[in-house]
Amino acid sequence: MNASPYILSRYMYIYDPIDQQIVEQRVAQFSDQTRRFLAGELSEDEFRVLRLQNGLYIQRHAPMLRVAIPYGMLRADQLRTLAYIARRWDRGYGHFSTRQNIQFNWPQLPDVPDILAELAKVQMHAIQTSGNCIRNTTTDHFAGVAPDEHINPLVWCELIRQWSTLHPEFAFLPRKFKIAVSGATTDRAAVGVHDIGLQAAEEDGQVGFRVWVGGGLGRTPLVGKLIKPFVAWPDLLTYLQATLRVYNLHGRRDNKYKARIKILVKDLGAEEFARQVEETWQPLRGGPDTITQAHLDEVAGRFTQPSYDPAAADDADACAPLAAGDRSFARWLRVNTHPHRMPGYAAVTVSLKATGSPPGDMTAEQMEAVAELAERYSFGELRVSHEQNLILADVRRRDLPELWRKLDALGLATANVGLITNIIACPGGDFCALANAVAIPVAEAIQRRFDDLDFVHDIGELDLNISGCINSCGHHHVGHIGILGVDKAGEEWYQVTLGGRQASAIGASENLAERRGGGAAIGRIIGPSFARAQVADVVDRLVQTYLRLRDSEAERFIDVVDRVGIDPFKTDVYADPRLAKPKAEEVAHA
Amino acid sequence: MPEQQSGQQARLIRGGELVVDDSRAFQPPEGDGQALPPDEPGWVVPLDTWLGAQDALRARSHPVAVQISPDDDVARLAGESGAVDPRGIAFIAVSFPVYTDGRGYSQAQLLRQRYGWQGELRAVGDVMIDTIHYQARCGFDSFLVKPGHDPHRALAAFGTFTQHYQQAYPKPVPPQRAA
Repeated sequence: MNASPYILSRYMYIYDPIDQQIVEQRVAQFSDQTRRFLAGELSEDEFRVLRLQNGLYIQRHAPMLRVAIPYGMLRADQLRTLAYIARRWDRGYGHFSTRQNIQFNWPQLPDVPDILAELAKVQMHAIQTSGNCIRNTTTDHFAGVAPDEHINPLVWCELIRQWSTLHPEFAFLPRKFKIAVSGATTDRAAVGVHDIGLQAAEEDGQVGFRVWVGGGLGRTPLVGKLIKPFVAWPDLLTYLQATLRVYNLHGRRDNKYKARIKILVKDLGAEEFARQVEETWQPLRGGPDTITQAHLDEVAGRFTQPSYDPAAADDADACAPLAAGDRSFARWLRVNTHPHRMPGYAAVTVSLKATGSPPGDMTAEQMEAVAELAERYSFGELRVSHEQNLILADVRRRDLPELWRKLDALGLATANVGLITNIIACPGGDFCALANAVAIPVAEAIQRRFDDLDFVHDIGELDLNISGCINSCGHHHVGHIGILGVDKAGEEWYQVTLGGRQASAIGASENLAERRGGGAAIGRIIGPSFARAQVADVVDRLVQTYLRLRDSEAERFIDVVDRVGIDPFKTDVYADPRLAKPKAEEVAHA
Repeated sequence: MPEQQSGQQARLIRGGELVVDDSRAFQPPEGDGQALPPDEPGWVVPLDTWLGAQDALRARSHPVAVQISPDDDVARLAGESGAVDPRGIAFIAVSFPVYTDGRGYSQAQLLRQRYGWQGELRAVGDVMIDTIHYQARCGFDSFLVKPGHDPHRALAAFGTFTQHYQQAYPKPVPPQRAA
């Protein structure tokens, strides 16, 4: 088979006239819907779902508009447009979400059509960023550059984006539907906790996908089941079509908490679900949505290709000398830069996790400055990570010291990627109408508690995720430490989980049947909830226990939890006098 | 058919034009699953009524339409042969009690693609200006537009999108101008 479908160097997809026309027609359609609503021709109920399908929520303070960043790929000019929107129609900032999108919290409804028109000028939109439809497909934020990548997922993500956009059969599903694609040994896309997780693989020289179905967080966190060990790439879309059709017809619609595909898979059993998909698929297989080599080549051909300088391999090492004398740079180099498949290049995380700034928030000024850095240092392209940071994926290593100084001056060089203060958090009760409790102030309290960077680096790799309610937008279930805001008798309480993870590395020879969802795991609750003021103390206590128990610096927090279980942590936390329960404990644990 | 008829507004899109809907739904009386409507034009019967008396109904001088509800398994209409026998069926109506229940889209696809229904396929219920484009692509060719939605604007909505990504779903047939 031709190697072109999974050639490594494919980057940013550039619209063709058809893509552009579809987005413009969607803007026209939504403008008309908004006009009809404002004129009283569409009822509140009729408009609600129509606006949600275009990413528009009614939130605590104002509508919230979620803009799609397909599989997290962003160009510098697009980031400038986001900055412009933030300044003109919002309050000068935006919030990058855990699904590689961006949210604006303060737009006015009548302005939304104008915002969408502005987005369309730079090949962006808000299509299906909310509602019970197929949402933005997400992937590895190091796609195309990671040394452990086998298959570049980007072309496949784009094919899924196109196929799922304005899909006529699947616009009104029982519930929202999220697809993630990974093509590397380390699954950075968390395929095990998505409605469909696709792991690109190669079998007998052909590219295809392992299909995991029914993973997800929220009220009933579940790890996906492998329903098909290999779908060859030409069959990808028809197989997805069959899976979605089974779900659309049989997913529960009587209870929104049981409406996700994970409940259907759980109720039917993975085998029976797989059988129904297979039966539905057979007549569709080979049909018009079968991917042809010609179509694949055409889509792949619209991706930009970075022009790496082969001479970079021979660049003198500019980092080691500086790192030797500058601890700040050394720390940043250690955790905020990442290996690259091209010699002489590195990927860089632009940290949006400075203490005191809500995780994932970025000001218009920062966006514009980073757009310029992307053009200067990284072929004008960026990615959004699900950890709510930005990535400059193709930086020449000799430029790292200069880039670091510039990022530092912008407050975007916090050296905490992969560490305890790189907290994933949803907007929480400060912004979101669904939340039971605040998330951002809790994140800040923890960041302030761990304000000694040397100590943070000594603790090592630790994912700490916070959700303000059980909808789990902060992915607390898959945090090594997870924190969930709960409402008990009108008060905010926080439940703590340990041992969650989004994935673990997949070896080619491992027995797939024994693996669950690419190695993802759901954290376990340690016990009664805590008051907001206690959360930082609890985290501190958990870290102390870890440091006492680890057998070496190489043994990570999550490894210790795996080795000893949660009991030693639990015992220490509840024995700590600082964490003695206030008398509302009974209420909190009710 | 004239657009206005006995004061009724034409809200049925059929054959690319607006006509007055003269169909009526038959509800079997409580406890009488065997009941059938009289042999007159325009009756739409539930799937169970059809399946219970299809030989008799097929023989009528006025064919009935069969209504599919979201909970219905459309395979039952096809039966063992695996294809819907079109004899004596005026049209198939797929109902959307609320537009957010999208099962009717997949039912339409199954009827068209898998069970061989080539006759009229009508979307009824919560059919909006905003849903017609998708419904047309899933195989519906007639649409009873819900009250409160301007049927002329619904006709225009076939052209909302002129480009589509999914190859397996036909482009909506652009409506002819209503007479």
